[in-house]
Amino acid sequence: MRNILLKDAPQTRAISPTLATRRTSLIWLALAALTIAFLPAPASVAAPTDRHIHLEASRFAYAPAVIAVSPGDRVTIEFKAADVVHGLYLDGYSLNLTAEPGQTARLTFVADRPGTFRFRCSVTCGPLHPFMIGKLSVGPNWLLYRAIGLSLLSVIAGLLLIKRPAPRDTL
Amino acid sequence: MTAKSAERAARLLVIGLVAGLALAVFAGRWVVETRHGASLLHARIAEAGGWTPGDLSATVGKPLHLRLTSDDVMHGFAVGQTDWPAVDVLPGKATDVTLTFDRPGTYTFYCTRWCGLNHWRMRGTIEVRGPVEDRLQTAAELATTTPPSYVTLGLDIDAPHLAAVIPARKPSAARAANLGVTMPAAYLTRDDYRAHSPAKIWQSLRTEMPGKWTDAEVWDLVAFVWQSNTSPEALAEGKALYASNCAACHGETGAGDGVMAAALGQQSHAETGGDTKAPVAFTDATSMLGASPALLQGKIIRGGMGTGMPYWGPIFTEAQTWALVDYLWTFQFETEYAP
Amino acid sequence: MRYDLTRLPLLKPLLRSRWPQLLFQIMALGGFVFAILAGLVGTPVGNHNFSIVFVWIAWWALLMLIAVPLFGRGWCSICPIPVPGEWLQRGAVLKPSGRGPSAGSGRGLSWGRRWPNRLRNLWLQNGAFALVALFSAVVLTQPRVTGIMLAAFLFIAVGTSLIFERRAFCRYLCPVGGFIGLYSQLAPVEVRVKDPALCVTHTPKTCYLGSDDGYGCPWQVFPGRLMKNTYCGMCGECLRTCPYDNVTVNLRPFGADLQHPTGRRLDEAFKAFILLGSVLAYSAVMLGPWGALKSAAYAVGTAAWLGYALTFLILIFGLLPGLFWIAVRAGRVFARSNTPTRQTFIAFAYALIPLGLAAWIAFSLAFVFANLSYLWPALSDPFGWGWNLFGTASMAWTPYLTRVIPALQTLALLGGLMWASATAHQIAGEQSPSVGHASGLSQSLPVILFCLLVTLALLGLLVG
Repeated sequence: MRNILLKDAPQTRAISPTLATRRTSLIWLALAALTIAFLPAPASVAAPTDRHIHLEASRFAYAPAVIAVSPGDRVTIEFKAADVVHGLYLDGYSLNLTAEPGQTARLTFVADRPGTFRFRCSVTCGPLHPFMIGKLSVGPNWLLYRAIGLSLLSVIAGLLLIKRPAPRDTL
Repeated sequence: MTAKSAERAARLLVIGLVAGLALAVFAGRWVVETRHGASLLHARIAEAGGWTPGDLSATVGKPLHLRLTSDDVMHGFAVGQTDWPAVDVLPGKATDVTLTFDRPGTYTFYCTRWCGLNHWRMRGTIEVRGPVEDRLQTAAELATTTPPSYVTLGLDIDAPHLAAVIPARKPSAARAANLGVTMPAAYLTRDDYRAHSPAKIWQSLRTEMPGKWTDAEVWDLVAFVWQSNTSPEALAEGKALYASNCAACHGETGAGDGVMAAALGQQSHAETGGDTKAPVAFTDATSMLGASPALLQGKIIRGGMGTGMPYWGPIFTEAQTWALVDYLWTFQFETEYAP
Repeated sequence: MRYDLTRLPLLKPLLRSRWPQLLFQIMALGGFVFAILAGLVGTPVGNHNFSIVFVWIAWWALLMLIAVPLFGRGWCSICPIPVPGEWLQRGAVLKPSGRGPSAGSGRGLSWGRRWPNRLRNLWLQNGAFALVALFSAVVLTQPRVTGIMLAAFLFIAVGTSLIFERRAFCRYLCPVGGFIGLYSQLAPVEVRVKDPALCVTHTPKTCYLGSDDGYGCPWQVFPGRLMKNTYCGMCGECLRTCPYDNVTVNLRPFGADLQHPTGRRLDEAFKAFILLGSVLAYSAVMLGPWGALKSAAYAVGTAAWLGYALTFLILIFGLLPGLFWIAVRAGRVFARSNTPTRQTFIAFAYALIPLGLAAWIAFSLAFVFANLSYLWPALSDPFGWGWNLFGTASMAWTPYLTRVIPALQTLALLGGLMWASATAHQIAGEQSPSVGHASGLSQSLPVILFCLLVTLALLGLLVG
C-alpha cells in the first residue's frame, strides 16, 4: 500500500481523514464490532411449549424444509420416509434418526441451544443425497442479525483502511 | 547422475507410478475375486434393474459366498422361506454373506428395505442343486404341494366379503374373558377359526348363545375366539412383519394410507399387468369382519394379480403368514396380548 | 513491500531442481488417473467413489481454502492435466536434452502452432466454466460423469499440446485456470524479476525462448515485464533459465496485484461476474432447503433444467453485470466523472475479486466440512468394491465442525466485504484522481452497495 500521508494543504478542498482521526475511527469501529458480535441476545419472551413436527423425507428434500421453534421447546419429531430409507442428522444437536417407508421414527429433544441449524440426510439415498438439506430455527437467528450489523461496519472499515493518495494535481 | 540417466529414471518413474497404479487396481480386483470366490451382487431399485445377476445357482452343502453392494439406495437381502437373518445392503459398500443350503430347490431372495414403489418386485432366484437320491421337498415346494387353506376350502378370494353386521364398539377379548362364558369347543379349534369370518362366527354364536348376551358381548366372544388361536409371540412376529412389509402401503395404523398408497394409483397398467387399487384399509370393519383368516392368508400368498398387492408365497413361511394374519385382526379387536 | 523468499536457505535449490516438482506432478497425475478409473469402473454411488470424494471434496477444499488464497496459481505448478502433453511436446520429462539451437523448445512431437490471436483471451475459459457449472449437479454426484470429464480434460490438454506451442490449454482453455488466475491476484506470493532494467539489456531472453537449462515460459508470459499473477503458472522455468538469477519468488501483502490500474480487461471482469453468480447459485441450489431447485438442476434435458439453465445464464451474464453497470453509472453521476463508462465498469469489477474469493471460501467451508468424513472410507475402498486397504472402510459419515462453520463463513464474508469496499474506494481514486476525497467516496458507494447486497444475499443463503 502506498504510504502517502495526507497533509492539510490549503489547495485541497477535499476533507480527508488524517492519520489520527482514522485511528480513532478504527478504534470506535472495533468497539462497535465487538459489541455487535458479543452482546448477549435478549432472552426469548415465548414460554417453552411442546411441538410436534411431522417431517417427511423424500428424494431429495424434506417437507417442511424450514422449521421454526422457540428456545426451550420440547420438540418431538415424527420422521417419515416417503420413498426409500432416509436419515436425519441435526447440526448443533448431533441428533441422528433413520426412517424407512412404513416405519416412522420418533425423537424428542429440548431445543435448548438457540440459533439456526441445518439438518441433513444421513443415509445415502441417491445421487443428490449430500445436498438433501433442511433448516431448523431455534429462536431468532441472532448470528445473521449480528452479521448484517457487522457487514455495515465492514464497509466502513474498508473505507477507512485504504489510505487515499493525495489528489495528483495538488502536489 | 548424468542428464540422460536422470531423464531415463524420470520416465521410468512416470510410467511405473501411473501405469502401475492403473494395473494395480485391476490386479487387486482379480485377486480379491479369485481368492474370495465371490463377485459382487449388485442391488438397484427395481426400476433400474433390481438384482444383478438375478439368478444364482448353488449346490447343497457347498457354501455360496455373496458380496452384496448397492448402486443407489439402501437395500436389504434375505432368502425367503429360510430363517437366515436379513442383512442390509449399503450403497457403495460391500456386505459379505455366506449361504449353505441343505435342501435343493428354487429359493427366492428379496430386498428387505423399502426402496421405492416397486420394492417388492426386487427379487431373484437361487437354484440349488443336490444329490437326486436324497432329494427332500424344500419348504417352498412343500408350501405349494400342500394347498393353502383357501384352496382346500374352495374360497373365491377375489369375491367381495362384506360383513352384514358390524360391532358398534371395538370388540375386546379381555371383556369376553370376564363374561365367564363356556365357549363351545368347536369354535375354539384352529381349523374352525381359520375357515370362518368373524361375521360368520358372530352369526352362529348369536343363534347358539342364550339371549341374555348383548350383540356387543357376542362380538367380544368373537374376539376371544381369535385371541385363543394366537399368542403374544405370534402377534409380535406379525407386528414386525407388518411394519417392514405392509405398513408402507397399508399404513402404520392400517388405514390404507401408507406413504406409497398415493403413488400406487399412478402406476400404469403396462407396468403392473393389471389395474392398481388403493391398499385395503384393515380398519374398515365391514370388509375385514367379512373375511376369514383363510381368505386373508390366500390374498397374502397369492397377491393381488396386478392390483399392486405383492405375492408373498415364496417369501413367508406358513407360520409367518399365519402370524401376520393374526396380527391383522388387532386393527379390529382389542387384546391383552397387545403387541 | 516484498520479501525475497529465495533468501531462505533451502528454497532456491528446491525450486531450481526439477525433481521436487516432478515428484508432485507424478503423484498428482497418479491420483488423477486413479480418479478417472474410479469414476469409470467404480461404484456409481458418488460419496463412496474416490473420484467424487477426492476431486470435489479433498482437492476442491485444498484448492479453494489453501492453494488459491495462499499460493495463487500454486496448484498450476503441479497440476497433472497438461503434464503428459508437455512431456510429449518437449520430448523429455526433465530438462532439455541440450542438442541443437532450439534446445529450449524441445525436440518433441508438437506441431507448435501459435494460438490464434482472436482467442487470446479468457472468453473460452469463461464459456467452459459456465458450461461445467450448468451441469454441476450431475458432475458432482455421478462418478461416471466426473470420470469422463476428467478424461476429456486430459485428452484435450494432450491434443492441444500436440497442435499448439507451450501451455495453450492452461492459458486459454482450462476452466479452473480461468478463476485461479483471477483470484491469484490476491495471493501473498508472486514470481517476479528482481531488476527489470537487467532484462531490457539481456538480448537472448532465455526466460521466454528457453536455453539448455530450461524451457521458455510455457504460459506465454515475458517474466521481465510481469506485473500481475494472473497468467503466471509458477512453473519455475524462468528461475531455471535466467543466466543472471534475476527471477525470484517474493512474499508480499495480500491483494498486491489489485493496486495495478493497468492491464484490466473485460474478459477478466466477466470472469468475476461468472464466479460471483455461480457461488450465489450454488449456495441456493446445493446448500439451500429447496428440493425443487436441486431436482431441476439435476434433471438435465428436461424443461425444468432448461429453466434453471436459462436463469443461471441470465444471472451470470446479464443480471449481475447489469446491476453492476447501473451502480457504476450512478457512481459516475455522483462524482461527475468524465471517464468512459466501459473503463470504469471494468476497473470497478476488480473490487469483486476479493468478494468472490471470500464467497467461495464461505461456500466451500460448509460443503467440505459437512462431507470431509467421506474421505476415510474412500481411501480404504476407493472403488466401492469392498476393499479395506487402510482399515477405514467402515467409518461412518459424520459432519465436522457444524457448530463453528456458520461463524467462520460469516468471518470470511465480512472480510471479503471489507476488502472489496477498500478496493472499490481505491479504484475510485485511480479512476478520478483529480476528484476530491468525498466525490471519490461517492463514486465508489454504489459499487460498495452492490457488494454489500451480494454479501447480505450470501449471508442469508449460507447462515440465515
